[in-house]
Amino acid sequence: MIEGGRAMSGPTGDRMIRVDMTNQSASIEPYPDEWKLLGGRALSARILLGECDPECDPLGPDNVLIMAPGVMSGTAAPTSGRISIGGKSPLTGGIKEANAGGNPGQDLMKLGFRVIVVKGKPSDPNKRYGVEVSEDSVKVVAADDYKAQWNYALIENLSEKYAKTASFISIGPAGEMQLTGASVACTDSAAERRPARHAARGGLGAVMGSKGLKYVAIDPGKARARQPADRKEFAALNKKYTKDYLDGPQMFKTGTSSVVPIANMLFTFPYKNRVEGQSPDAGTLDGKNIVESFESRGGEMHNCMTGCIVKCSNVVHDAEGNYKTSALEFETLTLLGSNCGIASWEDVADLDRLCDELGLDTIETGAAIAIYMDSGAMEFGDAEGAKRILKEIADGTELGRAVGNGAVAIGKKTKHHRVPTVKGQAIPAWDPRPLKATGITYVTSAMGADHTAGLIVNPGMPEKDWVLASQESQMVNAICDSSGFCQFLQPTPDDIRRYYGLLYGEEVSREQIYDQGWQCLSDEWEFNRRAGFTEKDDVMPDCMAKDAIGPANLVWDVSNELPQQAYKRPIARDEFFVVKATG
Amino acid sequence: MPQVKIPPPYRGPTQGEGRVRVEGANVGECLGALIERYPGLGDLLWGPDHSVHRFVTLFVNGEEIDRTALHTPVSEGDEVEILSAVAGG
Repeated sequence: MIEGGRAMSGPTGDRMIRVDMTNQSASIEPYPDEWKLLGGRALSARILLGECDPECDPLGPDNVLIMAPGVMSGTAAPTSGRISIGGKSPLTGGIKEANAGGNPGQDLMKLGFRVIVVKGKPSDPNKRYGVEVSEDSVKVVAADDYKAQWNYALIENLSEKYAKTASFISIGPAGEMQLTGASVACTDSAAERRPARHAARGGLGAVMGSKGLKYVAIDPGKARARQPADRKEFAALNKKYTKDYLDGPQMFKTGTSSVVPIANMLFTFPYKNRVEGQSPDAGTLDGKNIVESFESRGGEMHNCMTGCIVKCSNVVHDAEGNYKTSALEFETLTLLGSNCGIASWEDVADLDRLCDELGLDTIETGAAIAIYMDSGAMEFGDAEGAKRILKEIADGTELGRAVGNGAVAIGKKTKHHRVPTVKGQAIPAWDPRPLKATGITYVTSAMGADHTAGLIVNPGMPEKDWVLASQESQMVNAICDSSGFCQFLQPTPDDIRRYYGLLYGEEVSREQIYDQGWQCLSDEWEFNRRAGFTEKDDVMPDCMAKDAIGPANLVWDVSNELPQQAYKRPIARDEFFVVKATG
Repeated sequence: MPQVKIPPPYRGPTQGEGRVRVEGANVGECLGALIERYPGLGDLLWGPDHSVHRFVTLFVNGEEIDRTALHTPVSEGDEVEILSAVAGG
C-alpha cells in the first residue's frame, strides 16, 4: 500500500496517481502546477503525447490508460463531474478520449486526485486486479473473484465489499476479452450505483482489460466538494447559472431520445445500415414513448451525476415495472434500433442493457449488427437475433467476437462492402450527408467519426462556412470535455473560463481558453501523426458518396482537399466565445 | 415587420438564412408567412394536427411563450425565435 498525503479540499495541493500493472504497484505524486487548468480530454492528450509511444501495440504494455476528471469536477458547479478515459485506441489505432458522467470523476477530485495514469501489463493474462483509491491510500488488489462478471453483478458484489460512499469504474466481459468495441463503465449517482454511464467509444475497455484491470473503486469518505479560491463569487455564479438554465427551455428535460422525430425529418436517423436517412419506425422509437411509460411502469428522468441540473438521463423500466436500463439515448435508439431495422424501443432497451452489462459501445455494436444484417446473414428487424449475438459475445464465439470488435471487423468477416466508418470507428447517428460540417469533423478529428468531437446540425450551412464551423465546434467541445462540464449543459468558452477564474482566483483570458482548445486538438493530431496517420486517413467511406438519401439525393460529395483546411489554426472571433458546446 | 429567428437545424429549407422578416400581426401569422416563403419548414414546425411540434419552443423578444399561444401579438421590430433541441448522444 502506498501512502499519500491527506487530500486538500481545494484546487491547491492536488495529486496524481500512477499505477504500474506489470508489478501491480501504485504511487501518489504531486500534480504539476503548470497543469492546473488542464483536465479531462486536454490532460489526457498532454500525458499521452508525452508518455505513450504512438506506435505501440494498443493492447500491449506500452499503452497508457488515462482516467482524468475535468477541471471543475468535484466542485459545486452544476453538471460538472464528467471524467475522461484516454489511451491509444485499439479500434482506430489513434489517440482516443471518451468521457462519461456518473460519480467517479467527482469522487477522485474531492480527494484531490487529478488523474490516474495506468501503465504496464501483468505477465499472467488470466489475472484480474482492482485499484482501490481512498483519501490516504492507493493500492492494487487481486480481483480474480470478479473475473468475467457482467457489469451489474460486478458492481453489486463490489458494493458489498466497499463503503456506501464509493463509486466505481469497471469493465465487463467485452473489456476482459479485449474486444475493440469495449467500453469503460462508471457508476451513476443512484443509491444502487448502476454501471450505466459509459466512456464508450474507441475500445478503451479493451485497453483496461489488456492491463488486467477489472475495476477502480474510489471512496471519497467524508471528503467535501472542492472549494474555490473566490467562494462568494463562485457561489453567486452557480446561483445565476443554475437559475438561468432552469428558467430557460431546458431542451433535454425529456432526454436525448426525444430528438428522434426531428432527426428523422432532417434525414439523420439512419435506417438499415444507412441506406436511408429516415426510418418508418421513428414513431415507435421516439423517446416520448419512454417518458409516457413512466406513469404505468415507473422510471423517471434523473441526474446521472450528483449536482446535475440537466437531468437528461431516463431510467427505463420493463412492463413489470422493474428497472431495465438507463439511459436509453438517441444514439442507441438509432444505431441499435432504426439502423438495424428494429422498431421497438423496448427491444432497444434490452439491447442497451446487454451492452452495458458486457461493457460495449452501443454505437459501434449497433453499426456492427447492422452490417451483419445488411450482408444477408440475418434479417433486418430481427431483435431476438440481435440479442442472441450480444449473448454470443459473452460466450466468445467467432461471430460474437467479430461483432464485439466493431464495424470494420464484422465487415471483414462478412466481406460486406457497406461499412460506414471513419478511421475505423463507426459513424454515429448524425449523418454527414445532410450535415456536411459535421462530416468535416468526422474526417479531421483525431478520434475518427465521433459526434461529440464537434456536432453541427445545420443542413442549410453554406459550403464556405463548413470548415470554420467544424474547427470552432471541435475546439469548444475539446474545451468542454476538459472542464468536466457536460455538453448537454451547453456551456460556452466564456462560461468555462469564468468558472476557471473563480476556482483559481485569477483571470483566465479568452486567449488562454482559445489556446487550450487548439492545443488539445493539436496534441491529438500530433499523436496520430506519430502513429502513422496521414491525410489519406481523413476520408469518408465510399458508401457515403454512393448511397444517396432523401429526395434531394444527399451524398458525401465534399472534396478530400477541403477538410485539410481544418488543420490551420483559425483567427479567434468574438463569436467563438459564446458558442455552446453540443454533443 | 417582425423578424423570425430560425435555429440552425431548420436552415435547410431557408438555405442558410438565420433571420427572416415577415408580415404578421401575431406569432401564428408570422410562422404562416415564413412557411409560405419556405414550404420545407412546414413539416419541421407543424405536427399532423397543425399544432406546433412538441419539440419546438417559441420565444417572443426573448420571452418563452406556450407553443399553442399563436395568437400572441407582434409588431414592427419584434423578434419571434424558434428553438429546437437537436443534439444528443
